[in-house]
Amino acid sequence: MSYVRLSEIPRTISFRTALMFLALFGCSFFALFGYIYWQTTGYLISEVDTALHREVDRQTAQEPALRRTEILKHTEQDPEGRLPYTLFDSAGTTIAGALSTLPTFSAYDKPAEFFWDKANGHDRPIRYLVHKLDDGSTLLIGQDIHDIREFDELLVNALVSGGSLLIVVGLLGAIALGVSARRRLDVLSRSIKIIVEGDLSGRLPTRGNNDDIDRIAGVVNGMLDALERLMSEVKGVCDDIAHDLRTPLTRLIAGLERAQRRSLTQKEYASAIDTAIEDAKGLMQTFRALLRISEIEGSARRSNFTLVGFNQICADAVELFEPLADERGMSLVFKPCEGVDTVMGDSQLLFDAVCNLIDNAIKFSPDGSDVEVTVSADSNNCGISIRDPGPGIPEEEREAVFRRLYRSESSRHTPGNGLGLSMVSAVARLHDMSLQVHDARPGCRVDLIGKAQNA
Amino acid sequence: MTHVLVIEDDPVTSREIEAALQDHGFDVTLVNNGREGLLAAISDTFDIIVLDRMLPGALDGLGMLTALRASGITTPVLILSALSALDERVRGLRAGGDDYLTKPFEFIELTARLDALNRRRAPPSAANRDSRLRIGNLEIDLLRRSVRRGERQIDLLPREYALLEYLAQHAGQVVTRTMLFEAVWNYSYDDRTNVIDVHIGRLRHKIDGEGDSPMLQTIRGAGYVLRSPE
Repeated sequence: MSYVRLSEIPRTISFRTALMFLALFGCSFFALFGYIYWQTTGYLISEVDTALHREVDRQTAQEPALRRTEILKHTEQDPEGRLPYTLFDSAGTTIAGALSTLPTFSAYDKPAEFFWDKANGHDRPIRYLVHKLDDGSTLLIGQDIHDIREFDELLVNALVSGGSLLIVVGLLGAIALGVSARRRLDVLSRSIKIIVEGDLSGRLPTRGNNDDIDRIAGVVNGMLDALERLMSEVKGVCDDIAHDLRTPLTRLIAGLERAQRRSLTQKEYASAIDTAIEDAKGLMQTFRALLRISEIEGSARRSNFTLVGFNQICADAVELFEPLADERGMSLVFKPCEGVDTVMGDSQLLFDAVCNLIDNAIKFSPDGSDVEVTVSADSNNCGISIRDPGPGIPEEEREAVFRRLYRSESSRHTPGNGLGLSMVSAVARLHDMSLQVHDARPGCRVDLIGKAQNA
Repeated sequence: MTHVLVIEDDPVTSREIEAALQDHGFDVTLVNNGREGLLAAISDTFDIIVLDRMLPGALDGLGMLTALRASGITTPVLILSALSALDERVRGLRAGGDDYLTKPFEFIELTARLDALNRRRAPPSAANRDSRLRIGNLEIDLLRRSVRRGERQIDLLPREYALLEYLAQHAGQVVTRTMLFEAVWNYSYDDRTNVIDVHIGRLRHKIDGEGDSPMLQTIRGAGYVLRSPE
């Protein structure tokens, strides 16, 4: 469950942020430590130098004979050579003191350092000062700075080990942060996956501390609330549909029960059964139409789109409806376009849509009038418009007429199930076409416009 | 007797189909999965097969149909499907189906289509071979696309001729509006009953003129039939 692959951690933002801070902190750590190191060692060396100068001053002030005795005595008392004071004559030969030769030096009275190869084989760092005495002899005042060097080394070691520890702890921390972030995201993505799989009541877990992830989870949860509401609205549409189907169903059952109740003749029974079958077929047609619309709406049929010509489709539809219009003394005027009439689409669906529109136009127009079917095209678009001289659709109803099972007041008494325009609208949406109802003064014009495609 | 194999997994639907087909005078064998259906279709001789597109188990409707055709069996197959999408239909027919019917359907539609498939299977009649169809005193010249009834020459519009030709090829059988629409307009049908009725009305007016006994009859709740008037 909570297993996190190590290779995934470097990709987490938390790990990267932690790493960046580790680098920043490391740099300041080294800067600070370097400063302390520089200050401390400088201080210790300057202390030694001060002591050397002071000793030179003291020795200079003494009588030469006394100085020699004192140095001899000092050498005797300092067998380890911690402070190797030595007096050389003008020829550089040792008069008194621990050192046998005068180390090379660049200038008098200027502190310098050399390694003293002692007789016992030890090699000690000495900081020293050479002073020319008034009597021609040379005085060397020195101090073993081995301890200071050792202290330096200790400091550097502390720096290195401390720095390494810092990096290790920092890296571990970064990994821990990365793992925890990864886990949290995993929990979130699992929740999202469950929701995607259909459990719309699911929500993303929050910790309540209002951190970044919490806030995003909050926003997503808000979105899910909206989605759930929409879904329940869709369910409401389904309930509407169920309600609309209940009326014919009730009529059907009532008719059958009436036939059962009354003692009827053979002929009356037959007619009751015929009525029932007609009603049931009507219901079946409504069902088929509904199924068809949802199939169109839910389909990925665009993959089967081919180039279809609006002229051909409209000609077929007009030809199909011509006799129907003729029966009512109407004429169906077809005006094909001259330019590019092809779009990408499904010819069956577009044919059905055009048929529905023509059917409506004929249904709502007065006898003896003209219905026009026009295909028009410009360089980008290609459209079909169907114009009828009927009562038209009031402005406020122009959106509603595309809703499933919607029947406007004026159409209550014409036959139909209120699904024709929903079907047209579903086809238009599937084809990314615009479908608009306009006022044709008098009457109504419906435009179905899509993107023209050159063959 | 016409022997029909029905391969359908839904027990209610298959029982209803069985009853409807038996009432229509067919002998029915029911099978509820693709494997058994394939075995039955190969081992026994059937006149027609009604096949559900969606079947449980490894062998679904299209798979079974492909296997059946691969084994050289040419029995006409009508595919039943809950999917009405055009490409589904095309896929079904491409896999070797002879007709395609979308659920929910009316049983009259099913039996009419099975009759048509059954007839297609029968050897062509003499009338078919000499490119003329004769029903009673109605004569259709398939090559010249001309129609006479007795001595009277009948002028038909192209669509009217196509309607009549289809009806004549299925003379004596009930032809549903859906079948006409698919055959004559080449689109699948979307419940435009009254539109077809008007076309048929015009055709009827032309072939069953004054003084002739009616040949083109409407079968209530089903469709039309063209039969010789005696």
